[in-house]
Amino acid sequence: MTPTSEATSALRTEGLTKHYGEVRALVDLDLDVRPGEVFGFLGPNGAGKTTMIRTVMDEIRATAGTATVLGMDSHRDSVEIRRHIGYLPSDLALYPNLTGRDTLTYFANLRGGVDRDYVRSLAERLDADLDKKVGDLSSGNRQKVGIIQALMSRPELVLMDEPSAGLDPLVQRELQTMMRELANEGRTVFLSSHTLSEVQRVADRVGIIRSGRLIALESVAGLRTKATRRVELDLDGVADPAVLLAVPGTADVTVDGHRVALSYSGRMDTLLAAVTAHHQLLDLSTQEADLEEIFLRFYRGADEARVLS
Amino acid sequence: MSTATATAAVTGMTLRDRWRGATIASASLAALLILAMAAYRSMDVGIYDSLPPALRAIIGIPEGADVASLAYSAVFNAYGALTMGGVAIAVGTSLIAGEEGRGTMGVLLANPIGRRRVLAAKAAGLVAIVAATTALLWGAGVLAPVVLDVNVTGLHVGAFSLHFGASALFYGALALAIGAWTGSRGAAAGGATAVMVLGFFGTGLLPLVSGAEDAAQIFPWYYLSGDQPLLTGVSWAHVAVLLGGCVALYLLADLGLARRDLRNRSVGTTLLDRLRTHPVTKRLADRIAGSARVSRIWVKTASEHQVLLVIVVTAMFWMMGVMMGPLFAAIRSLPIDIENALPESLLVFFGGGNLSSPEGYYQVETFGMMTPLAIIVVAVAVGAKALAGEEDARTIALLLANPVPRSRVVLEKMLTMVLYAVVVGAATFAGVSVGSLVGGLGMNLANIAATCLLATLVSLVFGALALLLSAATGLVRIATAVPAGAAVGFHVLNSLGQINGAWWGGLSPFHYYLNSDPLVNGLDVPDALLLAAITVVLLALSVPAFSRRDLRQRQ
Repeated sequence: MTPTSEATSALRTEGLTKHYGEVRALVDLDLDVRPGEVFGFLGPNGAGKTTMIRTVMDEIRATAGTATVLGMDSHRDSVEIRRHIGYLPSDLALYPNLTGRDTLTYFANLRGGVDRDYVRSLAERLDADLDKKVGDLSSGNRQKVGIIQALMSRPELVLMDEPSAGLDPLVQRELQTMMRELANEGRTVFLSSHTLSEVQRVADRVGIIRSGRLIALESVAGLRTKATRRVELDLDGVADPAVLLAVPGTADVTVDGHRVALSYSGRMDTLLAAVTAHHQLLDLSTQEADLEEIFLRFYRGADEARVLS
Repeated sequence: MSTATATAAVTGMTLRDRWRGATIASASLAALLILAMAAYRSMDVGIYDSLPPALRAIIGIPEGADVASLAYSAVFNAYGALTMGGVAIAVGTSLIAGEEGRGTMGVLLANPIGRRRVLAAKAAGLVAIVAATTALLWGAGVLAPVVLDVNVTGLHVGAFSLHFGASALFYGALALAIGAWTGSRGAAAGGATAVMVLGFFGTGLLPLVSGAEDAAQIFPWYYLSGDQPLLTGVSWAHVAVLLGGCVALYLLADLGLARRDLRNRSVGTTLLDRLRTHPVTKRLADRIAGSARVSRIWVKTASEHQVLLVIVVTAMFWMMGVMMGPLFAAIRSLPIDIENALPESLLVFFGGGNLSSPEGYYQVETFGMMTPLAIIVVAVAVGAKALAGEEDARTIALLLANPVPRSRVVLEKMLTMVLYAVVVGAATFAGVSVGSLVGGLGMNLANIAATCLLATLVSLVFGALALLLSAATGLVRIATAVPAGAAVGFHVLNSLGQINGAWWGGLSPFHYYLNSDPLVNGLDVPDALLLAAITVVLLALSVPAFSRRDLRQRQ
């Protein structure tokens, strides 16, 4: 079995469930990652992110449900799948006695068909030291070796579990650029993280998992419209708060002369249309929608999350 | 007050980390002591009285040996002292060098507790562990004759235990001191073990050389039983040497630790690593240490255990192989009734055989116990760490992220294990052949080869068991302990079965190793096939065992 270019999903899970005895690490997870997107997989520690990835990698086997990668079954076709994907596990462990270069050579030998020039260019971009033994490297420099290893075969799908761990901000930025480049080339990136800013910056869509269940699946732009932000409007007259409150998503309206301040979640054009129907808009200021607040609410409780969606 | 609490916490942590292994070791020795005493009780041991003193000294049997002293000597002098020395070395190594190697020293010293106090607290833990294990063994030594109704009049078990404990503590302190100076686990464990093993052999062999009898005193091992504490009571001078040595080593450790930069978690630098950085040797060394080593899974696995292999191969080739030939030639020329030197029921534990023939001598010295032991150590080490080791280190995730089926990983690791066992077997063959040649013993090379083949096959049974458990459980501990325990158990079972002429000796794989007398009769093909078949079955089971289960996860 080989991946089909017309596969509609890069990664798909249906009813994926994993129990460890009494512990329900994954519950009925349905997920569909499209080819060519950066998919952010978010959740607090212990939510089931790593369990999901390990199931997809066939390190552990699902209690129920299926996972398909590039149209192939994650268990039955696992070897073939691994020809086409790159993987960076969380809490990366490498062979301490090998140098970075030995490590990459080892995996390149097992994989076959790795372009050495490409490895070199990745190492340069990440500023990785491949001559030192991995055991003597700091965690960030070790992580770079892991990232190169995941990307060096130009995989169609890359699964990265907490890839930014230990990286300095410059390298984090470079990695984010790389992820966007991969997506632009039509490859897929599955990015598991709890670093919100990173996901916000690179992901096209996000799935949020909590206690083994998927509680939200949304585009980043869609989430952004749901984020509440503070908006200030300068108008040519004194606004009627009732008119503003009639727009869905507004709250906390204060009118101070010609200036109006309010909290708003929703599409900006809806609000502006409502305002400009009655007044001329002289000036507008708003802060950038911050997803952190929305994520935190998702993390804290499913009930709150439901209210939001 | 808070310093005292902190010290107690460090000591407590040391005990918590280390008591299990020490307890298992001393409990096994206690069991062995009881077993040995029970075995000797059913034998006529009067033969020992007629032994020449020199020979008695090598085997560590005191004059006027009776059932009890034979058992005590066997356990306290040889196995026991080596085992407890090993335990103490493991503890001593872990205290400072181990903490640095794991990278936890920084966190420990981030607390308001000085290096000196950390060392003191940890050393206290070492003393406590050695004292407790010695006490346990002493208890068994006191209890065993009562239970078995053996006469121990005139024997000083307590005195012997004191020497035993002081000796073990010395090797622990040595490992601690080396670790404190270097921060290197390899140096600490390797150095202390080398001193212990050299002493073991030196103390046994030097008295054979006329004029060099006293030279044995340079080895710490000499002070374990040089004055025969079992018969004559505590030799305070000897205990003082050992305990004085411990104190000196402790002070040395204190000095070393205080003046040195602590290591960050790091990996050792080998000779090859150095050659890799040198412009002249870079190309070749890169080839060997770099690209060649990582060319395949089995090659890389092999490279990880090369130190163990080199040590074992050297020991088997030189000490157990080459040296035994001239040694036998020398002993044969002595006016000793070597043929009846040892009772058969004792010889059985060492493989049995007629001591007056070169074949019998080699069987007792080299093949009976040492050869399978050496191959089993290597095979079990490789087999146990093969899969479970990668799971422990969590490197399995990346390994299996490559398009490599799990079955291939198992097969390649298996290949390394078999290859290693064969290399040790071959080294033994080469060593014994050279020994026979040098000593002019004229042994049959084909028969030596047959015996080495059988030794390799019987050892691979336990290596295969280790690999199977490694594949099925992912736990190095289980994959090491179970085959090791099984090997000892089956060895005893075979020996006892042979003594009693009982059928159940045939349940032990060792029955198919030496019972056909391959050094004399050549290869027993059915025996070889049976051993190979058991190994193949165990190995075959390890493929599905590994392929079907969830890999372990760090919780």
